[in-house]
Amino acid sequence: MQVSLNWLKDYLAKTDAILDPKVLADKLTMRGISVGRIARCGTSGLESVVVGRIERIDKHPNADRLQVTQVVTEPNGTPRQIVCGAKNIATGDIVPVALPGTILPGNFEIKLSTIRGVESGGMICSGKELGISDDTEGILQLPKHSQLGQSLSRLLGQQSDDTLLEFELTPNRGDCLSIMGIAREVAPLIGTQLRELKAQKFKSTPHRTSSIISVEVPDPALCPRYVARVIDSFKVLEAPDWIQARLKSVGQRCVNNIVDITNFVMLEYGAPLHAFDLRRIQSGSVRVAECTTPQGFTLLNGQIVQLEPGDILIQDGDRPIALAGIMGGLNTQVEADTTTILLEAATFNPERIRRTAKRLGLLTESSRRYEKGVDPNTVLMASERAAVLIRDAYAANVYHPPIDTLETGATERNIAVDMREVRRIMGMPNFTSDMAADTLSGLGIDSQKKSINIIQVKIPVFRTDLKESIDVIEEIARLFGFEKIPAARPMTSACFDRMNETPYTFPQRAKTALVGLGFSECIHYSFTTDANLEHFARRSSGTIRLKNPISDQFSTMRTSLLPSLIQTYAYNKNRKAPNQRLFEVASRYEASSQSDTQAKETMMAAGLLGGTLTDNSWSSKGETVNFYHIKGAVESFLRTLTNAKPSFVPAASHPAFHPNRSADIFIGALEIGTVGELHPHALEILEAPSTVAAFELNLDALQKFERSRVQYVSPSKFPGSEFDIAVLVDKTASAFDLTETIRAHSSSLVTGISVFDVFEGDKVPEGKKSIAFRLTFSSPERTLQEAEVSGLVKRVIDGLAQKHSATLRS
Amino acid sequence: MIDNIQRIQKEVGSELAKVSDLDSLEKLRVHYLGKKGIITSLMASLRDLDPERRREMGASLNSLKTDFEAQLDSRKRDMARVQLDKELTQSPKLDVTLPGQFPIATGSFHPITLVMEEMVEAMERIGYQVASGPEIENEFFNFEALNTPSDHPARDMQDTFYIDKGILLRSHTSPVQIRTMKDRQPPLQIISVGRVYRSDYDMTHTPMFHQMEGLFVEQSVSLADLKATLQYLVKQLFGNQPLRFRPSFFPFTEPSAEVDMRCILCKGAPKECRMCGSSGWLEIGGCGMVHPNVFRSVNYDPDRVTGFAFGMGIERISMLKYGIDDLRSFFENDYRMLEQF
Repeated sequence: MQVSLNWLKDYLAKTDAILDPKVLADKLTMRGISVGRIARCGTSGLESVVVGRIERIDKHPNADRLQVTQVVTEPNGTPRQIVCGAKNIATGDIVPVALPGTILPGNFEIKLSTIRGVESGGMICSGKELGISDDTEGILQLPKHSQLGQSLSRLLGQQSDDTLLEFELTPNRGDCLSIMGIAREVAPLIGTQLRELKAQKFKSTPHRTSSIISVEVPDPALCPRYVARVIDSFKVLEAPDWIQARLKSVGQRCVNNIVDITNFVMLEYGAPLHAFDLRRIQSGSVRVAECTTPQGFTLLNGQIVQLEPGDILIQDGDRPIALAGIMGGLNTQVEADTTTILLEAATFNPERIRRTAKRLGLLTESSRRYEKGVDPNTVLMASERAAVLIRDAYAANVYHPPIDTLETGATERNIAVDMREVRRIMGMPNFTSDMAADTLSGLGIDSQKKSINIIQVKIPVFRTDLKESIDVIEEIARLFGFEKIPAARPMTSACFDRMNETPYTFPQRAKTALVGLGFSECIHYSFTTDANLEHFARRSSGTIRLKNPISDQFSTMRTSLLPSLIQTYAYNKNRKAPNQRLFEVASRYEASSQSDTQAKETMMAAGLLGGTLTDNSWSSKGETVNFYHIKGAVESFLRTLTNAKPSFVPAASHPAFHPNRSADIFIGALEIGTVGELHPHALEILEAPSTVAAFELNLDALQKFERSRVQYVSPSKFPGSEFDIAVLVDKTASAFDLTETIRAHSSSLVTGISVFDVFEGDKVPEGKKSIAFRLTFSSPERTLQEAEVSGLVKRVIDGLAQKHSATLRS
Repeated sequence: MIDNIQRIQKEVGSELAKVSDLDSLEKLRVHYLGKKGIITSLMASLRDLDPERRREMGASLNSLKTDFEAQLDSRKRDMARVQLDKELTQSPKLDVTLPGQFPIATGSFHPITLVMEEMVEAMERIGYQVASGPEIENEFFNFEALNTPSDHPARDMQDTFYIDKGILLRSHTSPVQIRTMKDRQPPLQIISVGRVYRSDYDMTHTPMFHQMEGLFVEQSVSLADLKATLQYLVKQLFGNQPLRFRPSFFPFTEPSAEVDMRCILCKGAPKECRMCGSSGWLEIGGCGMVHPNVFRSVNYDPDRVTGFAFGMGIERISMLKYGIDDLRSFFENDYRMLEQF
């Protein structure tokens, strides 16, 4: 919505009110009527743009698209040379010339310059460059008789200094999509009142509109009010200059008197109007009805749209003649020889208009207003205003009375507002009902004190947004000024009643633990491609797809965090960072019929090691990452975060991981994730070269093992002892199984079992490996006897021999 | 004999002072304490004395001996230290400017996490608690309960990602507030943070971003409380920056306001400010008093309680805090960005 200050002044009582644009814009913005941009319009500042005549045009020697002109800019003066790029110039043209030193709109300064080797002493301007029209077609052509050298500000004197305010309105304030609406808001800010236009008086004419045409509105919910008026005996000409000037000042294109006047009144009142050429209405009846069968329809701009059931149509009998509230049809548009029109002023169901306009991508000046709500009373005023403008300027004949489907109009509603509630919401215990009444009266909203605490507020019909008490309270607070409400520190006991914050804190702790292990956090989109997931997710339980994704890249909710992480690794490797430790903590999504959202979200932590564990340095070469590195990271992570003892079993086939170099991780019987080197095939798909090891853990499952309570055991006061055992076992025997056997054959006196050496090859028989354990013995009560220890060692060795055919290495 | 002991004591003192290396020190020790040393001999001669004298002389002699031994030891340690220092000084010098070799790399938090945590901690300090909820939501929690009826523009397919009829990706973290209010009774002081989704992708929009929202419900919470709370939060994040509350419109709050912070670059005195577009103010969030219809939808009685709510984009705050100029860089995870945090 754009409003020129001069136009605005037409509707303010104090016309000499000085409106400093910046100050006014700030005040409006702080009252919720947001001004997004202030621009100069009109011809002030065009003093050094003068009338010139083109004497000669030559081709530019160095540029095909440019021409070199000689332009005289004073009577009998010598021509000045100006380089020009426009096509629509000819010798003898009278044109605007910006002399060096001129500052054109957009802070563009004209200087003496050399353009591709040719000197240029100014600029021949288009209307757009001068900020006086939207026409970008080419150089502005001035009247032939204009006096050379005269400044444009004098030549175009009628459009003197003006400023354009561009508003960014909130969707509830449809009433402000009009000069009048803005004027209402401005009035209290500059201490004046609105100057309402006088109600129009019409004499009844011998022919009433209803004697020529009838209007049918079967469903008033679609169209609460329809005012139809016939106007005849006029010619389609240019609109009066003052109307054209106003329209141009807000960047509207002028077409002809009927179009321009209906546009003018729409901008003035915010009520869209439409004129049908009455000749083209064949049935003698205008019907407002819902579209019943899909069909094509040609709009007045030539565009063919597909109508669908639910669209509101204006019909001539059964033939659509307008897409209600959005745009008229080509079949009934006003033409050069039109002499009689049917002027439509109506209100339509806002949701329907919005739905249709959105579907067809037709956001017109009209639909923008209708979808925010146009009130029924303004509609009648707009119809009258347009009729008078046409009548007065062209001696046209206005049929009276019009057809009106809501002759009573709409009446004002009353809303009772409790001052205690006003005070409670604003936080101002001393805010009186008089203050509230004063505040509202600035906008012309009357109120009456009903009792000590209750005021009754009379809501103007055009304020369709004020529906209940809280809407009025907002209005009071807004007009009073949020800046005048003092800040106050709240008091509450809410914090004593704690809720479970673990769903937030546990993932945060996981992030901290991973950062501590040297991983860098990434954040990726929650959606990815189908293909990515196919290659990386083990479970086949339903993936969730978006119905309206932005692109295939973002079409499916992630069931694993690994693909994004690997892609980021590849991205960074291509940017010369081959060695990385990355992680992400985020949700995985799976379909679930159990939930009210049809989805199960599980908080996951995924980590990745790529390249070498550390960078090659001056002292050592980095080790290529492997299973044991990433497993070590997982173990440290779990130890930091939980009390649980994880076990690692060879991974059941997982498409993302190397079959023999990966493990599933369990706590007891609960699977909590997978760790390992990635499958070369997976890396190839994601174009991630070199070795990558990764893990993905279910944080929600881990949450119940959170390290929170520790039961302390005091260290033994008696010295312990150690004993090393090295055995030969089958190559396939796992360290875990061997350890379990040792544990089973020892007693509580064995307080530690660790693997300290593993080797194969030389000196070890084929198919066997040597594995060495260190056993720690200690008792909290006494120093152990050598015999006790050796007895236990023997039991362990026997156990290993029995269970794993282990032989002792000497 | 007592004279003899006193003389020896003096003599030992001056001798020790003269000694300058370990060899001479050893010689000195042998001279006095060796098998035929002076003190050893005197000790031996004690047995010729009568018992009373023997005890007396014995004590003196013993103290002479221990004294001497202690001094010997001390001189020995001093000399060894001097000797060691001399050797170390002559040993090869390290290049202390070579890079260190600790095997654990430095990890880093994503800037969004950093800001999120900063905001959460600030709010927790004044009593707020973190509530959580799903990202895949249904229309009731995301829209209807938030006074956004089905014909509201915000519900168009263009803005919200849909999964199925009535199921969508939450377009703000507000549904968490609805879920929490449905579960609990007032008073309530909660914040919700996390991923939110809107169907928009250009220079200034990504289809996923992060929000933090706060909700405070009590017997009579007011705009005045809201102002103080946001002033507090902004002060924690950016220091003492003036705020302004610009009336605005959101379906779920009334009155509603946009929160602007004085531009941190031009300090509100813009000539040509690239940060605030020369307006002097930076938009940092939206806020307002909870709409009575929202309370009704969770069975709170709007006559009994009032509440305020506010929301901020974490990317926006993060961009302002760290001077990040491209929204999309948050999700590229370029290591050259990550390693700066």
